[in-house]
Amino acid sequence: MRKLTIRRGGAVGSAVALVAATAAACGGGESEATQSELGKDDVLTITTFSDFGYDKLIDEWNADPDRPFTVKMTKIADWDPWKKTLTQDLQAGHGLTDIVAVEGDAMPAFLADGASDQFADLSDPELEDRWVDYAYQAAQTADGKQIGYPTDAGPEAFCYRADLFEKAGLPSDREAVKPIFESWDSYFAAGEEFVAKVPGSKWYDSSGSIAQAMLNQAEFPFQTEDNTVDVENPELEEVWNTVTEYSETLSPQVVQWGEDWTANFRNDGFATMPCPGWMFSNIKSSAPKVEGWDIVDAFPGGGGNWGGSYLAVPMQSEHQEEAQEFAAWLTAADQEVAAFDAAGNYPANLEAQQVLADRNETDAYFNDAPTAEILASRAAAVEPGRPYKGDKYSDILGLFQTAIQRVDEGSSPDDSWETFVQAVGSL
Amino acid sequence: MNRRPGFLVYGLLSAFVLGSVFPLYWSFVIGSVTKERAIHSPPPLYPGGHFFDNARRVFDQIDFWSALANSIIISGVSAASVVFFSTLAGYSFAKLRFRGSNVGMAFVIATMAIPTQLALMPLLKEFSNIGLAGTRTAVVLPWLVTAFGVFFMRQFLVDAIPDELIEAARVDGCSQIRTFWTVAVPAARPAMAILALFTFMHTWTDFMWPLLILQGSDVQTLQTALEQLKIAPAGGIADIALLQAGTLLATIPLLILFIATGRQLVAGIMQGAVKG
Amino acid sequence: MRLSPYLYVVPFFAVFLVVGVYPMVYSGYLSFFSWPRYGPHHGDPVGFANYAHVLQDPVFHKAFWNTIGIFLLSSVPQVILATVIAAMLDTQLRGRTWWRMSVLLPFVVSPAATALIFGSLFADKTGLVNEVIHAVGLPKVGWHSDRLASWTAIASMVNYRWTGYNTLIILAALQAVSSHLYEAAAIDGAGRVKQFFHVALPSIRPTMLFVIVTSTIGGLQIFTEPRLFDTNLQFQGGADYQYQTLTMYVFNTSNSATDPYPRAAAATWIIVLIIITIALLNFAVTRMIQRRSER
Repeated sequence: MRKLTIRRGGAVGSAVALVAATAAACGGGESEATQSELGKDDVLTITTFSDFGYDKLIDEWNADPDRPFTVKMTKIADWDPWKKTLTQDLQAGHGLTDIVAVEGDAMPAFLADGASDQFADLSDPELEDRWVDYAYQAAQTADGKQIGYPTDAGPEAFCYRADLFEKAGLPSDREAVKPIFESWDSYFAAGEEFVAKVPGSKWYDSSGSIAQAMLNQAEFPFQTEDNTVDVENPELEEVWNTVTEYSETLSPQVVQWGEDWTANFRNDGFATMPCPGWMFSNIKSSAPKVEGWDIVDAFPGGGGNWGGSYLAVPMQSEHQEEAQEFAAWLTAADQEVAAFDAAGNYPANLEAQQVLADRNETDAYFNDAPTAEILASRAAAVEPGRPYKGDKYSDILGLFQTAIQRVDEGSSPDDSWETFVQAVGSL
Repeated sequence: MNRRPGFLVYGLLSAFVLGSVFPLYWSFVIGSVTKERAIHSPPPLYPGGHFFDNARRVFDQIDFWSALANSIIISGVSAASVVFFSTLAGYSFAKLRFRGSNVGMAFVIATMAIPTQLALMPLLKEFSNIGLAGTRTAVVLPWLVTAFGVFFMRQFLVDAIPDELIEAARVDGCSQIRTFWTVAVPAARPAMAILALFTFMHTWTDFMWPLLILQGSDVQTLQTALEQLKIAPAGGIADIALLQAGTLLATIPLLILFIATGRQLVAGIMQGAVKG
Repeated sequence: MRLSPYLYVVPFFAVFLVVGVYPMVYSGYLSFFSWPRYGPHHGDPVGFANYAHVLQDPVFHKAFWNTIGIFLLSSVPQVILATVIAAMLDTQLRGRTWWRMSVLLPFVVSPAATALIFGSLFADKTGLVNEVIHAVGLPKVGWHSDRLASWTAIASMVNYRWTGYNTLIILAALQAVSSHLYEAAAIDGAGRVKQFFHVALPSIRPTMLFVIVTSTIGGLQIFTEPRLFDTNLQFQGGADYQYQTLTMYVFNTSNSATDPYPRAAAATWIIVLIIITIALLNFAVTRMIQRRSER
């Protein structure tokens, strides 16, 4: 699940010094550290992974003679190793920076009992409405404790190869293709038509990304509301059956993010792929010379969100107040816009989304598609609370993607499903 | 066997050596073409002209020089420490009679047979509990002494120093520690050099421990930096030209060391074998 | 009583206590408790539940056989090849030192680098090996998806790095064989090949034993090669766990959802016992064969 590596940071409101002193100091964990105030040259620490687009922002902050404190950022290449360290240091009770970045799919695990009391409560009535609802709520415990501020969000559109569509006799215009992406049925039907006409190419980039897209629309894919693990439910089985059924015909059967997957961008390996904002730069860097990519403002079955991260403040921090202040600043509108410009992370901050939409930028690579406008419209289509992510969401998602890979590699769907159920059982 | 080998023997040996060199050559070929060419079929067989481009991208992606410095520091400290403590202990076990020395030596040998890699997981826990995780100190700590080093030095010193020499030094009124410095250390020098070389290489090439203890930290060794090139290339997408260029760059320091000290290395392995 | 001999050996034992014994004992203790994933303290004692979990886990069983399979594919061909090369080096070669250094070359390529280079050679669609196989008209091999193929690919990395090293060890043993033995055999009319099997091989048995036992202990802990060979970030050793090894299992378990640390600790102890058992068995069997042939 390399997608996890690509999430980065983003956005919030405008008011700069939104200090919410109230919440930070309360909370219950035994690892609560004694608080101390920071002076101008004292250092507040933050860890991010991949690229949140913060380098310049932090340099500017530190260059300001009136800054309340100094900030030092540690950048980790990838989410997975950082998750392990985060886990270890939460268990050890020390070692973490004052602010830590948390990947969205893993957030539910940190909301569980025992984990959530190791994070400071960041809730602040003045900030509640700064971010898209679904992103904000996904970092909230059942009893209303807010443990993270959303840095970015991943509302999904669909990217497609207009040139290959033409070759297959399908409509190719951004408006005219919309009916194809109306529902999953229409999408798969068009796919079968496509592969019949263009035998050298497949319909989508990988089984995994389509599974992810469908899962993002399910209500309770892996766990019920009380976090009971239940993978043998009709919703998940539906996703499983669909994706494995089309594995042979519509999917190139490669693993996302691998070499073979990358190669397919260049050699017309596939025609469509689910496209959150952060995927745009991946496509460009994988296939700089391919012409024909376009983005449609539609998504089969409604909408969906793929990716997005948070900034959280561990209770072991000795500067929780300042940490919250700085996290609020980084996720304010100006900063999320700056992070978008630096690293391409689509903001979760509503005002920042508006700023981008007003700029009305188009992207020449994608046939002058109005990218910001499309993403804002896609963000509105995301249903908050879907899918329900329980404490084991990212673990089970990993196993599910692996199960699909097995089918791509030739296992029978039934065997692979059985292995999956067993593996989930021993989580 | 004292026979002049025929054409066949030279041919087979050459084939084996070519096979040994080929992966490095392949790494250079892939590291010297564009990332598009690297995964284009049919694969390239000759080097292209983009090695320096790829190398520059490696330097952009990872902090190569700091990883190199870390590797040198960690391996250097480990080599110096292992040599020093092993010579001391080896000398003690080989030449000094003391109660428990047999039990002690048996213990050293026994620990060589224990799967030490598996202690690394709990060690990680221990180190992160005391806040050492993510530091160079933590990487080097487990490699400050090795059972192999003690064993190796003892085997060497048993024969290398005649007992009379130590007796003579003692009669001359040398203290224990002076005897060690004036008699044991000069005699042990060749073995010390070989042990230093081995330890340096061993620590340098180690992957699992630095991976565990440095994950999620901005301190990296060359080996773990390579992993970062694999899992987090630009844009999150596999780029094997970049990866192979980095792999080759990370291998060059040891290749240089090998060219400089290959003879000693060969001699050391063969000596150790006869004794072992 | 003189103190200095003790002072000289103390540093070794002190460090070993801190970095070897203590963590192992501590993890043995924790393996009998629960410890929720993000909790700051360990929970209630659970008896042998963690051990039971590991022993019943089908993935653990798979990892066990994968490890054995990769180990056999790496050690057996390696010892045979090393012996053959050593026999060829044990002649009046021109440029002897040069040849010896050349066979040792792969030893300076780190396991990580080896794994990355071989990973690219064995890439399923774009790798050189499959391109060659394809060019001669055979179907491409699923180096990452097929179980036996993935073992072979990983074993080839181990063989690449260690064959030369073991060659030198065996060569040293061969050179220690007295020339009188060869001469006696030659008088009896034995040819070169026969001399090798009847004189050289029996004489170097102790060295072979050494090579085999050390490669057992190292080989059963294999980690770097399969981990860097893995193409997806779950590091499960392939989608069907087809090349997950025991050490990878420990690593992965320590990041799983329920009681990650205690389960990993239990797995660690089980594996230590397995390795020691196999090493002892190995030792006993080799000894027995040796005794029998000496008779």
